[in-house]
Amino acid sequence: MIASAGQAAPAAPDPPSNDDCLKCHGKLDASAKLGDGETMSLYVDSESFAHSVHGGKLACTNCHTNITAVPHPARQFKDRRAMSLAYYESCKQCHFAEYTRLLDGVHYAALEKGKEKAPTCVDCHGSHAMGPPAKPRMHISETCAQCHTAVGAAYARSAHAAGLAKGNPDVPVCTDCHHAHDNANPMTTESHLRISELCAHCHTNEKLMAKYGISTDVLTTYLADFHGLTASLYRSQGMKPAALTATCTDCHGVHDITWVKGPGSGVIKANLLIRCQHCHKGAGPNFSSAWMGHYEPSLRHAPLVYLVKLFYMIFIPFVVGGLVIQILLHLWRVVVNI
Amino acid sequence: MMNEYIQRFSVRQRIEHLTVMILFLVLGVTGFAQKFYDAPWAIWTINAIGGIDRVRWIHRAAGIAFTVFAIIHVSIGLFLVLTRRARPSMIASRKDFQDAITQLRYYLRISDKPARFDRFDYRQKFEYWGMVLGGMLMIATGFMLLYPVIVTRLLPGEFIPVARVAHSNEGLLAFLIVIIWHIFNAHLSPEVFPFDKSIFTGKVSREYMEKEHPLEYERIMGQGEEKQEAKTHEAP
Repeated sequence: MIASAGQAAPAAPDPPSNDDCLKCHGKLDASAKLGDGETMSLYVDSESFAHSVHGGKLACTNCHTNITAVPHPARQFKDRRAMSLAYYESCKQCHFAEYTRLLDGVHYAALEKGKEKAPTCVDCHGSHAMGPPAKPRMHISETCAQCHTAVGAAYARSAHAAGLAKGNPDVPVCTDCHHAHDNANPMTTESHLRISELCAHCHTNEKLMAKYGISTDVLTTYLADFHGLTASLYRSQGMKPAALTATCTDCHGVHDITWVKGPGSGVIKANLLIRCQHCHKGAGPNFSSAWMGHYEPSLRHAPLVYLVKLFYMIFIPFVVGGLVIQILLHLWRVVVNI
Repeated sequence: MMNEYIQRFSVRQRIEHLTVMILFLVLGVTGFAQKFYDAPWAIWTINAIGGIDRVRWIHRAAGIAFTVFAIIHVSIGLFLVLTRRARPSMIASRKDFQDAITQLRYYLRISDKPARFDRFDYRQKFEYWGMVLGGMLMIATGFMLLYPVIVTRLLPGEFIPVARVAHSNEGLLAFLIVIIWHIFNAHLSPEVFPFDKSIFTGKVSREYMEKEHPLEYERIMGQGEEKQEAKTHEAP
């Protein structure tokens, strides 16, 4: 896929300086014809490069390593994509850790299968005018949304995105859940079973949640219930379950997670049943209240559950204690009789 | 010469005990592995059985088998008692409460005469009815948990977590009663130590009957040896 021009230039003692390069590439009309007929501008804005993260630190040839002398032989690429792909491995010279993580991610897996549209470094980070990737933080979700448009639109409707728009540093952007480089395939069983841990990362942080009045019992109440204990056992048994069990996102939504008490919320009572019915076909209107809504049973929330629990907390020691007393009395009398 | 042994339990009763014993063990292991799901032994057990889905399948199958046996047991018992083919020897009566008080006075050395029991003493009746009533609760709550969609068409949703709490705690209570009470009465009690085999062999010694169930023993003897077999076939 990469039509690299034959390169036989002898190793020059001094690589060309940025000024050498800009003699040609600093001209606005510098261009080349690509294999697909497109004329591609070869102009590099030295100003924007100087203001980029690499400005003043890197020379052109640090990345364009195959250019050892000026003028250099013309390079042949079938299209723009082929050119990007020819250069993406330049980054690993410095950013090796990110590169190796990328090798574990879905994007590289797609690239390896020959999907040329799969993003490489420059698709997310840009090339000459590269800025810090997380400044502002909103930039991250915008970057991902360039390709993941539908997901980006769903995220934009979420409570998290609303916080992000206000510059709130607490809310997650894409990479907080999906990672920046080693993004695992989120559609696998393994990923699904890890979701509660992912959300719990922030939602069990007392200090963070106190700011928003959100309960940090969400994980423990989930794990103690049927779905949560099933999910954690599926994880620990290390084998693929026949069917998945509900996790955070199945009720709260994947990207368009809204404030639970808002009118559009998928988990307020009026809407929750629809979520239940995804798996529990034929569930009636009473069904969704079988879930105690992340509350520990108390006189206020699920009083009947609380009272039955309380009853057994008294009844079990009462019965067992009575039996033990009977046994001890019996043994004592046997001993006395001897 | 009189026999050294008296037939106390019929073949049916012995099979019932064995069945309940096995089902109780299976339900206990698969149930407690779910109740204490985050304990290392529970995770080990679940993995040894082959995953939570299989554990649940076994638990439900054993629960359905338990239900079937419970229905058969109660039906036979009711039939035998109602057609007067058997004496209602398991029914709790006023005498059981009197026996409990007499026995307590004996234990506390207020009196020197222990209670004289008929076929089943108050402790055995307590355990039997605990098993039957507790079993019914386990069956009812178990089916509620197995069919939440159907149950909530008729009952409020909150009944599902109620059933879960009740099923889980009632199971724990049953387990504790069996571990503490039944193991003591059938194994550790000085009268039977180390092992009361009667529920497996069906037979008890004459000496044991005279001592532990004197009223029944006297009734059998009074009726004459030849009728002894027929009259000791009890219900349930």
